[in-house]
Amino acid sequence: MTAPFKAPFKNRARAALADPVLKIAIDRTTGNAERKRAAALAAFPEFETARARGRAIKDHVIAHLGHYLELFERNATARGAQVHWAADDAEARAIVTRICLAADAKLVTRAKSMLGEEIGLPHALADAGIERVETDLAEHIIQLAGEAPSHIIWPAMHRTREQVAELFKAGHQPPPAAEDPATMVQSARRVLREKFLSADIGISGANFLVADTGATCTVTNEGNAELTTTPPRIHIVTAGIEKLVPSTAHAFALLRLLVRSATGGEMTQYTTFHAGPRRPGDADGPEEMHIVLVDNGRSRMLADEFREMLRCIRCGACMNHCVVYRQIGGHAYGGTYPGPMGAVLTPVLDGLAASRDLPNACTMNGRCAEVCPVGIPLPTLLRAWRRRSWREGLEPGSLRAGIGIWAQVARRPRLYRLATRIGLPLMRLFGKGGWIARLPLAGGWTDHRDLPRPAARSFMDQYRAQQKARK
Amino acid sequence: MTARDRILSAIRATLGPGKPPAQIAAEAAALLDDPDAARPRLAAPGLPDAFAQKAAALGTSIDRIGSMAEVPRAMARYLDAHGLPPRFAMQPAPELAALDWSGLAPHPGTAPDEPAALGLALHGIAESGSLVIHSGPDNPILMAFLPLHHVVLLREATLLPHLEDYAARLSAEAAPRNAILITGPSGTTDIEGSYVRGAHGPGFLHVILIAEPG
Repeated sequence: MTAPFKAPFKNRARAALADPVLKIAIDRTTGNAERKRAAALAAFPEFETARARGRAIKDHVIAHLGHYLELFERNATARGAQVHWAADDAEARAIVTRICLAADAKLVTRAKSMLGEEIGLPHALADAGIERVETDLAEHIIQLAGEAPSHIIWPAMHRTREQVAELFKAGHQPPPAAEDPATMVQSARRVLREKFLSADIGISGANFLVADTGATCTVTNEGNAELTTTPPRIHIVTAGIEKLVPSTAHAFALLRLLVRSATGGEMTQYTTFHAGPRRPGDADGPEEMHIVLVDNGRSRMLADEFREMLRCIRCGACMNHCVVYRQIGGHAYGGTYPGPMGAVLTPVLDGLAASRDLPNACTMNGRCAEVCPVGIPLPTLLRAWRRRSWREGLEPGSLRAGIGIWAQVARRPRLYRLATRIGLPLMRLFGKGGWIARLPLAGGWTDHRDLPRPAARSFMDQYRAQQKARK
Repeated sequence: MTARDRILSAIRATLGPGKPPAQIAAEAAALLDDPDAARPRLAAPGLPDAFAQKAAALGTSIDRIGSMAEVPRAMARYLDAHGLPPRFAMQPAPELAALDWSGLAPHPGTAPDEPAALGLALHGIAESGSLVIHSGPDNPILMAFLPLHHVVLLREATLLPHLEDYAARLSAEAAPRNAILITGPSGTTDIEGSYVRGAHGPGFLHVILIAEPG
């Protein structure tokens, strides 16, 4: 969704850093996710082989994307589904809205789909005057709060249980009897059940599009996808064109990686393949199934240096392990997708000029690439955006001037050594123990973390002294 | 130009004309060679024990019985243990209708707040402790999602070792509208990561594992 950023990234990040409740919420969820993933991998020694295979499957599909799209379209159509194509978010919104209006739909239930968020479906449905009910528990929470997801697996992870209790008290009739998670989940179950059964249309995403059967695949732990897609008259799927897999067996190979990397489980509770609408004689199911295949920048990524990003299976491991995400949470990123994968995708979706701060807000520690289940070199891709931003003149003048001065000094060894000889002792004056907590002109760094106190003498000075001593 | 043409021609412009479909299919199949190298081992020797161990670890309760004829007694045991009434929703499958249900009251159709339902799994998958159900005339999908207690019959003879073994059957048969792998009771970790059962689907999943086929 090309939502205009409310405030510059730096302001959003500063506000997030100043919010102690947010920090608690982030730590609880990402800490849990990190521990559970580590345990799941320890119990699966074949993970590295599975990861190499997962990466090869995605690369194979990407290399033959046109072939698989047409194969999927043919097989899905043969099963009675109607396949639509959308080049961008506006086209995708228009297709879904048109189907809803043609069916005279009043109430639409939706199972969590990040692609749906990406194309701005929630707003489009509201604009068309259609009641939209989010059925994933976390999406239900943020719908009550009027917010966007802050994580691709746990969209409401920025909310503590106390905050959720407030939202449910105001939004559920009757309100939940207590504030513990179990009672609140029961309350949501009761409220949403009525909606499931009275909806005109159910909208889901897809974790996989299976080319040889024409089926779409959803995975959930709650069971909300099946309750969203079965009772209504129409089931609409919105999916990115990179979700294709050759066969069900390939989907399973990726599923083993996806679930372990996302939640530390081995399988989601419900893994469901949807192949077309209700068959003659079927006991239940929708009368119509529509599948909207969405490009929205993906064929462009295929053509440029961001092709590897099309491997992404949206597990969220990169953000759970990102030191920046774990400080500022998801909303500060300002796009649909947060964390490292979001910092690569947001410039594709919203333009680099509006999002150049995101690739810059990375420490390059490489943890995201280490945990990525399909081997996406995220730091390399973020560096590619930095290079492009520089080339396109998007970096501010002060930064360009600063780097220009540094380059002048760095290319003159004598001058560089002189500068370090003057600078080092000055910096050391501000240090206590091994760290500098405050440094003039470097508040942007030291306000939120300490700077290591430099050694008394530069590397070159120490090296020379050592060489001299040896002689 | 339609959106379809625009997308496909943009892809073709980047990727070139493409290989023959048979060659692409062969490459795709080769990616799955030596499946054991990239999948977990079974939790125990023997499919029933491996399945039971995995399913139990996910919070699924298990009752192992000898034959189909014992199913009504096993069902009565379960309902009784959970303080449930003898009335429950039952999948309209001939092999279930053929059993002697005296003392219990199975009914077709599932109410929005149905306390319990009994259904039949097509397969069990030992690797993951998953149950497989397919939609069809005698299997309404909502029966697996609306009740609070979902009781599923599974024959040991239908157990498959790995997910790939099921995938092979799915592409061989005509795939149904819905093919669902159920792996444990419905749950959520959406509030502060704390695990709560029965988010939307059943809060209790009970498997009656039958040693002898029918």
